[in-house]
Amino acid sequence: MRPELERLRLIEQQLQGGPAALPADEWNLRLLLDGELQADAAAQQQLYQGLRLAGRRQLRQELVEIHTRLYGPPASPWARLWQRMKPW
Amino acid sequence: MVFSPHLLSAATLRAALLANREQALTRLYRQTFPAVRRHVSRHGGSAEDAQDIFHDALVILYEHAVGETLALTAAPGTYLVSIARNLWRHEQRRRARLPQDALPDDPGLLAAEAAPAPEETGFAVLDYVERLGAKCKSVLLAFYYFQQPLTQIAEANGYRSVRSATVQKFKCLERLRQAVRAVFSTETTEY
Repeated sequence: MRPELERLRLIEQQLQGGPAALPADEWNLRLLLDGELQADAAAQQQLYQGLRLAGRRQLRQELVEIHTRLYGPPASPWARLWQRMKPW
Repeated sequence: MVFSPHLLSAATLRAALLANREQALTRLYRQTFPAVRRHVSRHGGSAEDAQDIFHDALVILYEHAVGETLALTAAPGTYLVSIARNLWRHEQRRRARLPQDALPDDPGLLAAEAAPAPEETGFAVLDYVERLGAKCKSVLLAFYYFQQPLTQIAEANGYRSVRSATVQKFKCLERLRQAVRAVFSTETTEY
């Protein structure tokens, strides 16, 4: 892989903390030697947060589709408003 | 995959969700939603409230199941109903404090309230995920959110090997990183 992709992989392995992650001493040494590594790791963590939000959004959309298949389309916005406002 | 709702371990549920998410979720939905709708209806909520609460509960169940942090001591349906009841109780307390409010139209807002708030930058990145091409978005979400194995991602997207899928995944992540970085650096230099 290209060096920039290898760097993403290195950071990913470190953030995941799995067996492929570097020992703490070695990672700390890299942080000392590479002035941008800390910022790049923080930025990559933010990418993962964004992907988590996007995934949740897609999952919710899929659930709406399942609901529609099983029970029909949701009520119109006006019907929902009326449902919430009616006193009985 | 066929499973009995009463004999399903967390590992079996995870395997079913990863093998065919739509099928597994549809089965859980059909088995469990009527109970949640009844509960919410008996406790002052509408059909739409029940749906919103149920979706929040399913998102929680999904994330715990595929993240292998789910310890099932009952059938998944029972667990789902229990999550939904807790969420509805929480929502009722929230409405009692703010009686003019109903559930937000975007149910994600409720989950955002209940869960620890992600960094604001996560929301900024969300826009750029949506702007990725369909294939990149699909690969990234399949791996990082839906936690599908790379073998499955490779097969679904027509990559010849796991290695090709891995390279493609990092290429897509790099595209996302570059897009986000370009915007953040532009915003920074504008000040």
